[in-house]
Amino acid sequence: EMEDAEFEDILDDWFIESLKTYKDLHVYQLEHPTQVLEWTSGNSVCVAGYSQSKNEILELRLPLKLLADENKSLCAERDFKVSHGGFTDGPVRCLTHIPGTRCAVTNDGLSSDLQVWDLGGEESDVIRRTGSIKGKRSASERGSRIAARPSSAPQVLHGAQISDVQLTELASGETLYKLETDSADPLSSLQFVSDTVFLAGCCNGSVYVADTRTSAPPQLSHSPSSAESVIWWTDAAAGPHPSSRRVIRVSSSGQAVVSDLRNLGGAGCQAQLDVQTPGRCSQVKVSWAPTLDDCISVSGFSGVVQIYNTRLWGAEPQEARPLFEHRGHAVSSQQTDDSVPTFVTSHIWHPERPRTLLSAASDGSVHVWDWVDPNRQGGSPTP
Amino acid sequence: MPEIKVTPLGAGQDVGRSCILVSIGGKNIMLDCGMHMGYNDDRRFPDFSYITQNGRLTDFLDCLIISHFHLDHCGALPYMSEMVGYDGPIYMTHPTKAICPILLEDFRKITVDKKGETNFFTSQMIKDCMKKVIPLNLHQTVQVDDELEIKAYYAGHVLGAAMVHIKVGSESVVYTGDYNMTPDRHLGAAWIDKCRPDILISESTYATTIRDSKRCRERDFLKKVHESIERGGKVLIPVFALGRAQELCILLETFWERMNLKAPIYFSTGLTEKANHYYKLFITWTNQKIRKTFVQRNMFEFKHIKAFDRSYADNPGPMVVFATPGMLHAGQSLQIFKKWAGNEKNMVIMPGYCVQGTIGHKILNGQRKLEMEGRATLDVKLQVEYMSFSAHADAKGIMQLIRMAEPRNMLLVHGEAVKMEFLKGKIEQEFSIDCYMPANGETTTVTTNPSVPVDISLNLLKREMALGGPLPDPKKPRTMHGTLIMKENVSFMLVSSEQALKELGLNEHQLRFTCHVQLQDPHSDADTLHRIYTHLKSVLKGYTIQHLPDGTVIVESIVIKVSSSAEDSNTKVLLLSWSYQVKTWTLFLEGLPMQSKPGSSPNHLVIESLF
Repeated sequence: EMEDAEFEDILDDWFIESLKTYKDLHVYQLEHPTQVLEWTSGNSVCVAGYSQSKNEILELRLPLKLLADENKSLCAERDFKVSHGGFTDGPVRCLTHIPGTRCAVTNDGLSSDLQVWDLGGEESDVIRRTGSIKGKRSASERGSRIAARPSSAPQVLHGAQISDVQLTELASGETLYKLETDSADPLSSLQFVSDTVFLAGCCNGSVYVADTRTSAPPQLSHSPSSAESVIWWTDAAAGPHPSSRRVIRVSSSGQAVVSDLRNLGGAGCQAQLDVQTPGRCSQVKVSWAPTLDDCISVSGFSGVVQIYNTRLWGAEPQEARPLFEHRGHAVSSQQTDDSVPTFVTSHIWHPERPRTLLSAASDGSVHVWDWVDPNRQGGSPTP
Repeated sequence: MPEIKVTPLGAGQDVGRSCILVSIGGKNIMLDCGMHMGYNDDRRFPDFSYITQNGRLTDFLDCLIISHFHLDHCGALPYMSEMVGYDGPIYMTHPTKAICPILLEDFRKITVDKKGETNFFTSQMIKDCMKKVIPLNLHQTVQVDDELEIKAYYAGHVLGAAMVHIKVGSESVVYTGDYNMTPDRHLGAAWIDKCRPDILISESTYATTIRDSKRCRERDFLKKVHESIERGGKVLIPVFALGRAQELCILLETFWERMNLKAPIYFSTGLTEKANHYYKLFITWTNQKIRKTFVQRNMFEFKHIKAFDRSYADNPGPMVVFATPGMLHAGQSLQIFKKWAGNEKNMVIMPGYCVQGTIGHKILNGQRKLEMEGRATLDVKLQVEYMSFSAHADAKGIMQLIRMAEPRNMLLVHGEAVKMEFLKGKIEQEFSIDCYMPANGETTTVTTNPSVPVDISLNLLKREMALGGPLPDPKKPRTMHGTLIMKENVSFMLVSSEQALKELGLNEHQLRFTCHVQLQDPHSDADTLHRIYTHLKSVLKGYTIQHLPDGTVIVESIVIKVSSSAEDSNTKVLLLSWSYQVKTWTLFLEGLPMQSKPGSSPNHLVIESLF
């Protein structure tokens, strides 16, 4: 009884604080937690379960109130709409939407094979499996990373380790490109930085940059740290100007390194992130903000999503304080099992709305939040 | 096969008008009688022509059940009862009975006075209709007639909302109405026992929704109120006397206390009296917290919230006022609105749906210039906020309810079948039950498998047990023979045939079939019979074969006799006789089979060949 009242109090405090710290806040509870959050359009996202056997893939349409700009106050609609749904036979560890289509590709984290899905249209609300793509490994500890080619006909880049990376054409299943390297480093990220150039981040911190048009060997940038047990995650900012194309690498010990895409080994800036439990993480996500210059977001170390301004970082690693912290998942999760505290499994930025993010946690919660820049509090509420 | 038929009434696929017809065990029940708030013509009423083309509905319906007081569930009630015509029983919970007529009268006033409609139900019709109402208590079985019984369960959602269990014999249906599975500040969560109905009927609209938490809705409310107060504005919150008003008051009181705010909060006195009155009456319908509070003190005794006086509306500075009625269509809330509308610092927060024709409805549709009485125009400069606090179940909630009730079949109304395939698949997969989704006007027929309890006589039971074999098991039924006697249309008894005949005072008759088969055999009759006996014994192992001294061979229950033909002593005639129970027999003679067809009469023996 006491615990319940105490818990309610903490929640109230955070909620009351949130009146000033968030413009918008929505809190949802999925039936099953998701590890994937992927945009399928400007106002819809895909989520999927990761339990051992059967799971659901859901396409959720964002609440109208969040997206309504002019008539926001007259719109009372705050709920997610499940627009399409389907069933998978195994966990979903990676889900990528193919731009310009109603197609998505998933990987179960157990092998490097991919499953291909039709997300459904107006006629039906069922997400159906339409095929599969064979990967190189029938058994894989982490599974494959997937990246969809930004334009052109539907093609996916995928692989569980750096030597496996290949580009497959969806329609024919044909392999259009293979990365030529002998290294067997497992991948933690894979993304296109232009229509043909991609970046592959390895768990050990090394980063490869290659072009799918050539068979020339990739550019390799070594890991910032030689520590063995440290795992690294990478994200590249795909800005319009080559000068804004930067890469950030974050390690399981909380080290963050930013470098220029054209000069990965060169001097960039660094910081020691203020993460709660360094070392204990498996689902770290690091992401550049699509429209806020220099801002990055990090999650996976705990039940918190942190936003940092990298412009404040210097050449020497110093402790960095986050610009903003979303503590909603940590604060509102009701713990039944104290040994495994709730942690954030994924988060994404809205591609256009500057400070709107979605985050998901291991307790099945999904939050949609539009945060207020603490440096601009008290000013006019324009983005 | 016994079946239950369910038909949602009304035109089109629209949500917004609940009225479902159920035919079960020879009884016809109407569930809810809602009005569609989006139409101005006959489309707003359910399509009763499905029941009968013209004339009263009394003869066609055994009862009507109303789940709660929202107009999309009871709005067409006076029309159906007094204008179309129905004199049978109308069931609803006590709070619904108390609140329904108030909402219906408000609705009528708005429609007739504000919108000038003529063909609408009158105040007297509302009164006459409510006279037919029989109130229900929770968890209490009510006998509508000898065969039909109903029971109400707590649904949450609004005060007095019920889910209803309908039973005829061993067939049953549960209708959820609107419900929610998470408790809120003044209502508990829906609950039902594992009643295992043949069909669970629910709305499909919420099944594809994932609801934002109530905390976030509250947060939005507090944020808006706080922002207005901070800039010196006045906030008007038009409410109906019950439910939301109280919840929002509790919320503001807590917030004011926490933030140490000074701006005054008022509620109109009419509100307090009504609310207190209703809560006293229906205390069992609210949740634990409210009940505890009420026992300790008056519902509306707050530290920061005071009774409103008309004159306060002109006071300078920020304030918050709760006033009735809820849709700004008349009375105090409208008066205050008129005073405050011209100032952009002010705000009006509409906490619920507003019926067409009301000011509330107009401003929620973005209208910024309103025509008032005497041709005066009102410029709406204040901020208008629409917030929905209604508690509904969602996708997760439906699954929880199915787990609670364990229905044999699921039926979802008000959805587009094509858009619900995923949900249908999900329910079918998780619970291995069929999920139906009829369109409005379409009938779904669900075959039920009702169990009929039958007593068995001890003798018969003993006899069956003596036959040995495995014990009877629900998963492995055993066939047995007996006679079913039905006494006084109520009790069933299974007895042995002999006992049945005895009770009926009849003699037992036996049917035996005979046929003659000719053979050529030079031996004597007795020898031929013996040869047949030894031959059969060698060929038919495992069967009881006897050679009786009276000159017959008996194979199980088939009797064989041999006699010589009168014309020729070498021609033997076999007389075969068997009782009705023997389905097929095959006669093996000299290794060549002679068969009877199952069920064939003795004249149609198929004799393959004679040696």
